[in-house]
Amino acid sequence: MPGSMVAMTQPVQQSFNPYTENGGTILAIAGSDFSVIAGDTRQSEGYSIQTRYAPKVFRLTDKAVLAVNGFAADGNMFVKKVKQRLEWYRHAHAKDMPIRAIARLIQTMLYARRFFPYYVYNILGGIEEDGTGAVYSFDPVGSYERETCRAAGAAQSLVQPFLDNQIYFKNQTPAAGTQFPQHLPLTSVLPLVIDSFTSATERHIEVGDGLEIYVVVASGSTSLQGLQNLRGVQEVTGTTDGERVFVIRRELKKD
Amino acid sequence: MSIMSHNGGSVIAMVGKDCVAIASDLRLGNEAMGISSNFQRIFPVSDRIYLGLPGLATDVATLREKFRFRVNMYTIKEEREIKPETFAHLVSSTLYEHRFGPYFIEPVMAGISKTPTGGVKPFIAATDLIGCLNFAKDFVVAGTASDKLYGVAEGLWEPDLEPEDLFETISQTLLNAVDRDAFSGWGALVHVITKDKVITRTLKGRMD
Amino acid sequence: MNTFVDLYSTTSATAQLRRAQKITEEENEEFSDGSWGSQAGFGTIVKGGPSFMVPNVPDPTSFLRLHTDDHADPSCRIKIQHGTTTLAFRFQGGVIVAVDSRATAGSYIASGTVKKVIEINPYLLGTMAGGAADCQYWETYLGMHCRLHELRNRERISVSAASKYLSNLVYSYKGMGLSMGTMICGWDKTGPAVFYVDSDGTRMKGDLFSVGSGSTFAYGVLDQGYRWDLTDEEAQELGRRSIYAAGHRDAFSGNTCNLYHVKENGWQFVGNYDIAKMHYEGNGTGAGPYGYEPRITGEN
Repeated sequence: MPGSMVAMTQPVQQSFNPYTENGGTILAIAGSDFSVIAGDTRQSEGYSIQTRYAPKVFRLTDKAVLAVNGFAADGNMFVKKVKQRLEWYRHAHAKDMPIRAIARLIQTMLYARRFFPYYVYNILGGIEEDGTGAVYSFDPVGSYERETCRAAGAAQSLVQPFLDNQIYFKNQTPAAGTQFPQHLPLTSVLPLVIDSFTSATERHIEVGDGLEIYVVVASGSTSLQGLQNLRGVQEVTGTTDGERVFVIRRELKKD
Repeated sequence: MSIMSHNGGSVIAMVGKDCVAIASDLRLGNEAMGISSNFQRIFPVSDRIYLGLPGLATDVATLREKFRFRVNMYTIKEEREIKPETFAHLVSSTLYEHRFGPYFIEPVMAGISKTPTGGVKPFIAATDLIGCLNFAKDFVVAGTASDKLYGVAEGLWEPDLEPEDLFETISQTLLNAVDRDAFSGWGALVHVITKDKVITRTLKGRMD
Repeated sequence: MNTFVDLYSTTSATAQLRRAQKITEEENEEFSDGSWGSQAGFGTIVKGGPSFMVPNVPDPTSFLRLHTDDHADPSCRIKIQHGTTTLAFRFQGGVIVAVDSRATAGSYIASGTVKKVIEINPYLLGTMAGGAADCQYWETYLGMHCRLHELRNRERISVSAASKYLSNLVYSYKGMGLSMGTMICGWDKTGPAVFYVDSDGTRMKGDLFSVGSGSTFAYGVLDQGYRWDLTDEEAQELGRRSIYAAGHRDAFSGNTCNLYHVKENGWQFVGNYDIAKMHYEGNGTGAGPYGYEPRITGEN
């Protein structure tokens, strides 16, 4: 056929595309002596849902939790490699790596792939050595910054301005003679996290199905009360030397 | 660079209890460079209907005049004020006339209509740039900050807000959304339309 | 792309990548001793420099460009942050370094609290424009080498040498997609010094530089008010006012201004100033607001 002859003579350029976007959103908020790291559990490709339960948030140590978003394959492999390096550190030093060191480690691991990047946005949450709550956010090639609150992923533009308003009290003026709190208590942060995800689920097709909220609490924190009798809470602490880690699971709309 | 974000700007409308609100930012830019911090993109159509035109500034001017002309013709022919529902369809059909060479505008409208029993019914609507109508019961958004507006509005809005509370809700939604958008901001303007008056306020916003 | 010359050239970007690829292949599964310790991955410094994984494709540079450059293709997935205003100038009292704090990805303002001044060591500052990670990583790396220089030579590295080290370093990666436009500022034996270094390999000594999407607006104010014999206060005010101007007009710059002053005994952080506050209230010295518009009333 003449048509197929033409097709055979035309060279076709095939490009190597190892990346996919798997949707979902992650979010982390630091309190004075706790840190909340959350992510939805939907994994999608285009308009199709691959699974309704694919965790995006991972406990690294008792004081550090990592949330990964973007390309799931890269994300899972990256978490695996970070966990491996943390285990080596434990063998060499007989202690867990402090969170600010994990943050720097993640930077160098991401930057080592500067010319073939991991397509992942990372948020690291946990407790600093001085007992304060910390959140570190990263871009795919490793630039990072310590913050109080950060949303990343498909619905970051929906969630982040809401958090600016409710966590940082942006565009709000305190009543005369009063001041806005520097850090919110856990009892105020958890409902804000849940509201953020229900809102994102409502308006973004890639967000939904389930919600996993990790809470890392410094030793002796008052946030422990009220957390233990919460619905669907589960403790995942690994050691007994201080910080404690909890997971709270919630359903999100599945449509 | 998309033509829809050449000049920047965003509009939002919300429903309250026997009232509606419509608000927009005041920025007019040339891509990244800010040109004016006093660019009006919400226009009164009648005493109780307001129309917001986010999108390409040249089309804001054109469409505003076009709608003024068509609403005037309607009023003269019908010898009555246009209803918000009717006006929404007028907007829709006007935009669809240019189906294959559209105006780069996504209109948002807000108004209240009187029911035969003497009550009032709040009304909001938005269309895409070729006139597909969206009659929402809660809020509608458009412009370069639309995704941010959706997120904040979904978190702050609740049913049956009184005019003052609706004003606070729409203002907070708009200000916090445009602060995360590079192409919107530079001040804001809010109209709250109630049964017997329209409250208009200018907001101080971040100027960066 | 794969021309004859390209294939056999030893200096082209592709050849360098091929060489880098060979190194990564050798080290692929093998981790250096640094990985075990607390050198946070910089442990490879003992071997002469870090190594990078490179995709196994004929032209890795265009592979990277395909997936990361958001100017050529706005739909591409990996967004590298762009948009910035940074400035530094030399004057009688030292060096003023002022930057904004905004990071944008497309039209979304990803952050308003970015630290664009990188504190290399107590005497050296670097500014950040272009790829945030490139600047952060290589200027940290530069800091380590400056320390090695101190240990080896028993004296501090000059600003000129430090900037040349960085310039040579990024030049060795030329064409591979690094993106940085930075000013290396400090005080050494020769007095206050500012060097502009970028990822093309440019390195220039100068009195006054501004880099980024808002630099034209900053230069407008800076050129107008610049003199060598500025007092410390005047100089700091000029830096602040220039960043305000850029933050105001440029959509991709804004949020806050970070101000540093480098003096004979090292740099000091002067302050963090909210650009919205400067617009409406000024810098807090009672000199009046920076914004020219008639004040508009209203409530939040």
